Amino acid sequence: MSDDAATHMITYESDVCIVGGGISAAMLAQKLAELKPGIAITIVEAGVKIFDFQNRTEYRQRSLDYGENAWPGDFIDDQAGAGVISRTMAVGGSALHWGGVTNRFSEEDLTLKSRYGLAVDWPLAWADLERHYCEAERRLGVSGEPGPLPEDRRSEPYPMPPMPLSYNLVQLKQWAERSGIPFQGTPQAKNTRPYDGRSACLRCNTCEICPTGARYSPDFTFKQLLAAKKITLHDRTQVRKLIASPDRKRIAAVQAVSRAAGGEAVEYRAKTFVIASGYAWSPHLLLLSDVANSSGLVGKYMTGHAFIGGQIELDAALFPGMNEQHSLISRKFFRCAADAPFVRHDLRVWESSAGRDPRLKDAAGTLLLGDALLADWRGRTKRGAARVRAYYDVHPSADSTLTLDSAKKNRFGDPLPVIRHVLDDATRSRADATRTHIRGLFELLAKANNGRLLNVSEGNYLDHPGGGCRMGTDPASSVCDSYGRTHDHDNLFVVGSPTLPTGGCTNATLTFVALTLRSAGAIAQG
Amino acid sequence: MARVTRRGALKTLGAAAVVPDFGLKATAFHLQADAPQLDPVMLAAIGEVVLPAEADRKAAIAAFVRWVRAYKEGADTDHGYGNTRIRATGPSPSRSYPAQIAALESSARAAGAASFPQAPLDVRRGILEAAIAGAKIERLPARPTGGHVAADLMGHYFNSSAASDLCYRAAIGRDLCRGLQDSEKAPAPLPTPGASRGDVR
Repeated sequence: MSDDAATHMITYESDVCIVGGGISAAMLAQKLAELKPGIAITIVEAGVKIFDFQNRTEYRQRSLDYGENAWPGDFIDDQAGAGVISRTMAVGGSALHWGGVTNRFSEEDLTLKSRYGLAVDWPLAWADLERHYCEAERRLGVSGEPGPLPEDRRSEPYPMPPMPLSYNLVQLKQWAERSGIPFQGTPQAKNTRPYDGRSACLRCNTCEICPTGARYSPDFTFKQLLAAKKITLHDRTQVRKLIASPDRKRIAAVQAVSRAAGGEAVEYRAKTFVIASGYAWSPHLLLLSDVANSSGLVGKYMTGHAFIGGQIELDAALFPGMNEQHSLISRKFFRCAADAPFVRHDLRVWESSAGRDPRLKDAAGTLLLGDALLADWRGRTKRGAARVRAYYDVHPSADSTLTLDSAKKNRFGDPLPVIRHVLDDATRSRADATRTHIRGLFELLAKANNGRLLNVSEGNYLDHPGGGCRMGTDPASSVCDSYGRTHDHDNLFVVGSPTLPTGGCTNATLTFVALTLRSAGAIAQG
Repeated sequence: MARVTRRGALKTLGAAAVVPDFGLKATAFHLQADAPQLDPVMLAAIGEVVLPAEADRKAAIAAFVRWVRAYKEGADTDHGYGNTRIRATGPSPSRSYPAQIAALESSARAAGAASFPQAPLDVRRGILEAAIAGAKIERLPARPTGGHVAADLMGHYFNSSAASDLCYRAAIGRDLCRGLQDSEKAPAPLPTPGASRGDVR
């Protein structure tokens, strides 16, 4: 650390400076510390540390009872944007609220162009990514079972036995498979036995705030790294700009403001800089800094997956609340024959209480009190219900953007981001067929069991968003290479969700982490 | 704020309350500093109408009072995933209760009873039905809102883990940490009507 007498700006120096303190940063720092023992790593995070694990049971209870934020203070008042942008800005990032589902993408996700003539291929091979999926599963601690489809073969077993299916899911699996579609429990970053110093799951039904630590959360990794003095973590320090070297081939420094030190300006100098600020704030920072954008593609091809959900009533006595966070998945539709109309999606099934909640008035509008309300409620629980959902593959156009909104600025005068998802022509042209296909599957599930499709609803946003700094081999059509190294600056990397060219058709966090771990080797080499 | 005593409550309500003794009468409920207190006898009289006989009404009312007492105004609410809006909890629902309870008392006296708790069950039912209708409450509140104390008491109970267990007559324990063992089995039946291992929120 040095104090620049002329400007009174404190400067911190390290080998690697990571901007952002979410799950990608945690995994990257952990691996870098292993690859290069003694490496000096500084992590700069705008939000606060919420390391008070001892209070998590109380936070959970108040979240249940009052709907209070289970991660108090995990946001910055004036650091928000328009569009699908999580407000969470804290050490741990969005993964603090994570449900812990760790599905893998499939080989098709990486080869959309070569297989189907759609979107782009990813600039890496499936076997390469698969190795890093295994590594991500080990580091996070994933419990799961091998899938029934040969296409989903794995090179290593899951680190932990699968989460047991609850009674409800056992019933629903039998029910769902009568349709001829194979299902399995979703893999999850939740301990089914003590793992990595954390306890086994106690089925608290509140995975977004796990009181036992069984669900992986990046704060555990950060605490381990801090205790071992392997990282320096500066929270409440908001990075505002990357400074390029005079020849613009490298990044010379990062400029930030320390909220912890009363708004003092600070600077970080490092051999290598890594932007790990998620899909919104990574391209936002690059745009603010006017770096890494010779392609003009920073903030372009913002992606994610669309979804359609439904509720099905069925002949089964279920007990809602046994483990509402756990679900079944079928990966059968991750594949699509090259000569068939393109549609790719996952298919999920959860227990549900839809139509089976207590109500104040019956269907005739009669007010129900006391015993009458209980009798009405009981009468509607004789049949069970399932929630179903499909995340389906959609592809962004270049007009799917994150831009800077000069009309909305934070306290420092920096314009805030606006995200506008726009799908490409091919995706839009097949939208009706996709809806028809997925609805047909919901109806198939219902009919196989004397069930009834109660409703179908379509998501109005893209879930598990990514993109904005997409990877590729051609500097003219991508921002970074497959390791996240930006084409414009040798020592600047982007990791995790922003690098995805397309958003797949299932939960994406494991993929963000696997790609980040793959980047670690290149980052360690500098 | 003055503590409501058993003596004070009875003085207000008149002698020989006819509501069942849920063991609450000797307890005064302290709400947050500037929020009104809840009269246990009145809550018991309401609970006898709006809570099922199978339920542990005493526990349900005690849990409701605990909820009200521990309410925090202006607390940040869960902003969830992908949601860009931060909201805070509003004024305590209990701020609405004194006027609502006074109206119940007034209606009871208009119906010829000495007080609401002393009114016959069917009279209390009619008064509460009219009050809920008058408050234009169409749905069971997921959490107390202040719309009406009777609806809030119902919503608090019927959305609880204990009520779910009672409905299914099974020890589901929705909001409890239960462990993974035996989760593949159906939850055990409740041992006796009205008993539940699930805590009332």
